[in-house]
Amino acid sequence: MDFLTGMRVSSSGMAANRMRMNTISSNIANINTTRTPEGGPYRRKDIVFEAIPDAKNFGEILTGSDKEINRVQVTDVLVDRKAPLMKYEPDHPDANADGYVAYPNINLMEEMTNMIQATRAYEANVSSMNATKDMALSALEIGR
Amino acid sequence: MADLFDKTISALDTSIDMRRLRQNVISSNIANAETPGYKARKMDFEQALSRALDIEGKGRMHASNKEHFLVGQGPIANVTADIYDNPDVNMSNDGNTVDLEKEMADLASNSVLYRAAIQLINKKLATMKYAASDGMR
Repeated sequence: MDFLTGMRVSSSGMAANRMRMNTISSNIANINTTRTPEGGPYRRKDIVFEAIPDAKNFGEILTGSDKEINRVQVTDVLVDRKAPLMKYEPDHPDANADGYVAYPNINLMEEMTNMIQATRAYEANVSSMNATKDMALSALEIGR
Repeated sequence: MADLFDKTISALDTSIDMRRLRQNVISSNIANAETPGYKARKMDFEQALSRALDIEGKGRMHASNKEHFLVGQGPIANVTADIYDNPDVNMSNDGNTVDLEKEMADLASNSVLYRAAIQLINKKLATMKYAASDGMR
């Protein structure tokens, strides 16, 4: 258990929030996408965070002292199952027999709020990483 | 009988060690600020440390026979941290109890107090150096 543990935990938080940011970007970029390799319109993606005990070695797992410090990890990517939005556009090449086109059911406001939340969470992890780094550096000043 | 490295150094040493651990606990809380169901952890060591300091100080109970046990926490180096789920929290809809503002404040104060302990050690070492150099620089 050392400073590297704290930095590893903070970096896992940064990585998880970057992953979340990528997912949100993908959702915003594909807000009007009607074609995907799986067929049908693009479906909104959401990710799941999970706390993983940060154990370095067998001893820590055995004594249970690894329970206190938790990394965060993206363990799953959920595909939104909401019904697509149907818009009447008979001239569109992806229109169905009735002239309706299936568009992704993505709420831009929701994505924007999630984006701000992810940014703030990322910044908090950067601050904690910097604080840990400064502490480690100041420990090198002992006896100077 | 005064040791060269007396209990000031060992108390500061323990304090630094505990603050390093607390830094890891706070980092873990911040990293999991968005994890559903994660419970914020809190760490205490101040009381255990002050009890240990008292045992080694005036409130000490002497063991006159080597078969006797010392009462209390024992030496400063044996001070252990108490880590538990923070009871003083508001739970959000997804069961997460991390209060990011509070964690950031704790992070800042922990890092300031860590630096303070380091400075105190440095001052202590500087006075010893001054004495050892016969009062000359």
